[in-house]
Amino acid sequence: MNQLWGSMDQYHQIAWHWEIAVYLFLAGLSAGAAISAVVVKKISHHSESNGLVKAGAVIAPIAIAAGLLLLIFDLTRPLNFWRLLVHYNFTSVMSVGVLALFIYFPLTLLLFAATFHEKFSSGMFACFKPIAGLAKSLGKVIDALVLLFGVIIGAYTGFLLSAMNSHSLLNTPVLPILFLASGLSSGICANIIVGMVWFHQDLNINEVASLDHTDKIIIYIELLLLFALFVGMFYQGQEAAATAAQALTHSAWAGVFWIGAVGVGLLLPLVLNFAFSSSFKSSPSKFIMFNATLVILGVLSLRFYILYAGQMFS
Amino acid sequence: MAKKYAMIHDNNLCIGCQACSIACRAENKIPNEVYRIQVWIQGPNQHADGSLNYDFHRQSCVHCENPPCVKVCPTKASYINQDGIVLIDKKKCVGCLYCVEACPYKARYVDPVTQAPDKCTFCYESRLSRGEQPACVTVCPTDALIFGDLNNPSDKISQVISRKITYQQKEHLGTRPKMFIVPNTQGGKIR
Ligand code: SF4
Ligand code: SF4
Repeated sequence: MNQLWGSMDQYHQIAWHWEIAVYLFLAGLSAGAAISAVVVKKISHHSESNGLVKAGAVIAPIAIAAGLLLLIFDLTRPLNFWRLLVHYNFTSVMSVGVLALFIYFPLTLLLFAATFHEKFSSGMFACFKPIAGLAKSLGKVIDALVLLFGVIIGAYTGFLLSAMNSHSLLNTPVLPILFLASGLSSGICANIIVGMVWFHQDLNINEVASLDHTDKIIIYIELLLLFALFVGMFYQGQEAAATAAQALTHSAWAGVFWIGAVGVGLLLPLVLNFAFSSSFKSSPSKFIMFNATLVILGVLSLRFYILYAGQMFS
Repeated sequence: MAKKYAMIHDNNLCIGCQACSIACRAENKIPNEVYRIQVWIQGPNQHADGSLNYDFHRQSCVHCENPPCVKVCPTKASYINQDGIVLIDKKKCVGCLYCVEACPYKARYVDPVTQAPDKCTFCYESRLSRGEQPACVTVCPTDALIFGDLNNPSDKISQVISRKITYQQKEHLGTRPKMFIVPNTQGGKIR
């Protein structure tokens, strides 16, 4: 339409696109993989030679590094990106997040070095041997810090969005917890998949099954959180209630939510688990891997949905 | 003493002519496809007695006293100056567009030339620094816009605000806009 007052395009544009959705996904996945690796290390017998721990130690740094690259290239002035490291604003979740990432990223590298310290004893990467040795000897401290900063990173991706009172789908205290929970879930599943593909000789299938079981519990929690999010909006007054109704029914994003995030990511894994639990024993690893893939796709859909629907409907 | 610049948009005087929007474009050399201000003509609304009228919404930065855009900016590129005007220091801006999304008034656009966000500045860098009123205020044919310093009791804006009933958009968000609206009773009709 051509109004008397001119083009309204700028009022319908959204600022954050797929790069940010993927970043939010990768940051959550990295944090979830790191957290679950450290937890498995604490409770399993073989500690760091455990395939699940190795998987987490590989995934955590790679996922966060890939996410950060996307983040930088999505800036409209990427050459200015270094200013994020020099100027800080403590009321900005983004700025606090940069600080947290400053600590978290090296921590994941140390986790990697500690887990694979033998690989650094000779050969091409022998120059990292002292660092790997140090990381190994500080193992306990590093684990504790990874746990702490994993939770911080997982939740911060939610606070980043919930800090904006311009959008009622985003401006809710449920979001950081939802993102932490779903990030943890995707991290667990990534650890299971990578563990089974690359480190299967170091895997104990019972441990995989119990991690998979933990993931199912997190899925129930996510369903509850999503329910709380929308019911909460319904009672937050007319504006938020209308946004909730729109976000659940309008545009392709409602489809991404119902089919992708809820259907494929949450309900299907639960239903499959329930329906096939008897045949599960015959080829457990394929079944668990398939389920884990569904969960990861669901978490990715959830990030896309929240980011896009959140910005579109105010 | 620091100033507290503010503006009144009187919906009873506004006729939606867009003179303000055009003057802003000329004064601030706004690229073609984007706008610092528009006046949206909404309606006609029907009153209980059957008569009709239009509403006029000035779509622009409302210069919040508690601006969300400044709170979220990671580099403090978005800031509020000593005179209460919210500005963008483009040198510091990384283009994360957090401010664009966080503004509840959709006041910010990405400048196609600098790729940094931009918005109404009350003509701070140009006309105001020369002691002139913002471009939109000077050209308004019905004097629907009043601009001035709320810290100065003898300024016209302080007097009008004390006399007329005004409201601010989305007050419930706690942003405390310094754009005051005189609500419409008969907008569009010259009396
Ligand atoms: S209207 Fe938007 S851009 Fe202007 S000060 Fe308020 S939050 Fe910032
Ligand atoms: S786009 Fe620029 S001004 Fe806006 S929040 Fe990011 S750094 Fe600050």
